[in-house]
Amino acid sequence: MKLPLHWLTIGLMALSLGITGCRKRPDRLTTLGGTGPRSIVGDEPSNPFGTKPFEGGTTTTATPTETGLPQPPGDWDNPAKWTRNPDMFRDQTVYFDFDKATVKPSEVAKLTEVARRMRTMPGHALKIEGHADERGTEEYNRTLGDKRAQSIREFLFKEGMNPDMMPTITFGEDKPAVAGHNEAAWAKNRRGELVLLVPVR
Amino acid sequence: MKSMTNFLSAFLSLFLFASLAAVAADPPRYRVEVTYDPNGFLQPIFVHVTGLSGEADSVLKNDLLFMGIVHKSPDEARFLINANAAGVRAEARVTEKVTKSVVHEAAFTGSAQRSAVHALSDSIAKALTGLQNIAIATTKVAFKVETGPARSEVYVADYDCFGAQAATTDQTIIAAPCWAGRGMLVYSSYKQGNPYIFSHVLSTGARNAVARHPGNNYSPAVSRDGRRVAMILNKNGTPNLYVANIDGSGLNQLTRNRDGDACPSWSPDGRTICYVSRAGGGSPALYKISASGGSPVPLRTTFAPNPTEPDWSPDGKWIAFTAQIRGFTLFMVRAEGGEAIELVPGEDPSWAPNSRALMFCSGPDHNKRLSLLDVPTKTVKPLARILESNSQPSWAK
Repeated sequence: MKLPLHWLTIGLMALSLGITGCRKRPDRLTTLGGTGPRSIVGDEPSNPFGTKPFEGGTTTTATPTETGLPQPPGDWDNPAKWTRNPDMFRDQTVYFDFDKATVKPSEVAKLTEVARRMRTMPGHALKIEGHADERGTEEYNRTLGDKRAQSIREFLFKEGMNPDMMPTITFGEDKPAVAGHNEAAWAKNRRGELVLLVPVR
Repeated sequence: MKSMTNFLSAFLSLFLFASLAAVAADPPRYRVEVTYDPNGFLQPIFVHVTGLSGEADSVLKNDLLFMGIVHKSPDEARFLINANAAGVRAEARVTEKVTKSVVHEAAFTGSAQRSAVHALSDSIAKALTGLQNIAIATTKVAFKVETGPARSEVYVADYDCFGAQAATTDQTIIAAPCWAGRGMLVYSSYKQGNPYIFSHVLSTGARNAVARHPGNNYSPAVSRDGRRVAMILNKNGTPNLYVANIDGSGLNQLTRNRDGDACPSWSPDGRTICYVSRAGGGSPALYKISASGGSPVPLRTTFAPNPTEPDWSPDGKWIAFTAQIRGFTLFMVRAEGGEAIELVPGEDPSWAPNSRALMFCSGPDHNKRLSLLDVPTKTVKPLARILESNSQPSWAK
């Protein structure tokens, strides 16, 4: 049986309108997991960092590698092994030019004096602490302070000191000697400090 | 003639049926229409937000801003956002102003109203931009907080610095926090005297040594897959670039230059590391090297003097960094190198996961604060300062 075409048309249109009449309403209520703020400072286990500290230098050589003098392993920060004396060489603090890590000619006499006095103190070690002024970025300055301490160490090695007894540390710009935002302060902060380590007997 | 009329009638009705059926089969779907600027960033989408007040209002608008959606007057807006927040629930309906069609509707509840609003912001941004990875409203940042002279700790907060909490209580210097995934931090701590690098599971506080080599271990950067750490070690006599597994095993020395290296940053595909070095003792420059070893290749950053602190965008296209012009200035350069684009004054950028916003710090030493930057519009929002000085932001990806 053949339906009249116009009836078909009307029928389709009515069907379409019927479908579009029911609009779905999205119901997307989403509940988030909520437990409130959690403590993120955990309890320290008794030895949180795991490994045992090394004993004083027995494995490094005094021969420079292609990247310099290897750092000596050692328990340098253990007060049961070493006593810090920051006053012995306070006058021999070495100062550096901006963004440089080379030992200037004006500073050389300080280091020859340090080497001379260390020769009279067998068994003592020397901690070399490198610093930077605030004008570089933080981690860049950490590398710069590290380079400065290494430069001093290499100079002292050439003066005959044992690199295995010269650990270094860098503080970047974290420990200025002088507060201030001018060259007078900055010049005093670009430095390497020499701290005598006295063996605890 | 009659058959022609019949034919046209049939055609018209079928056409009408088809178009109505297409509309009726799903709710009217908003067809995303966005444009991009010459650098490939989404052009801002203008909206007008109503129905919120106080914290909910500022949180929603701030979230949207750093996802490329800007609150404007009704005249300038293309979309109207009618929102409501009550108790721990936030909801909104987004309509296209001219057509009045509803393009998005959603409601969220959370542990607090603020978290519900953040979830709502993410859902609106995804709907309007069509991009899943645009969503950053529920992400976190870690950063260094100075707690006293030569004392700093790592803090973790929402990306807008709300709810900041100390993750460490070492009472020593802690520096350069970065994320391994979203549940673990890696940083350098001076707690045992020299700086050593540790990983730190946030939920338990459990820590493991990643690098405890003789000498100094610092500037960690974790690869996107969380498996490897790049870092600066001076164990062999000069601060150089090394890579190890996240548990510290498999140490590999990548660079050997005697002038020293700094500031590593991974490419998102984990194959390349961008870092700072000097060419023959000159001023600092950016370099790239294969993470499995090879020759360093200089990265051109024309117009940006003394580049340091590179941070590679998660989409791999850009490297943001700090340059020095009259003070610190943020720049970015295409990952292949070239002419650097000046952004705003500031330092130490960390990209958001959507490669559009970034966090940075600015201000005098020991008195710095964090800010957010919407890179394509250069809109800056300073954030609340925790204690005296906040720096070294790291945005969890």
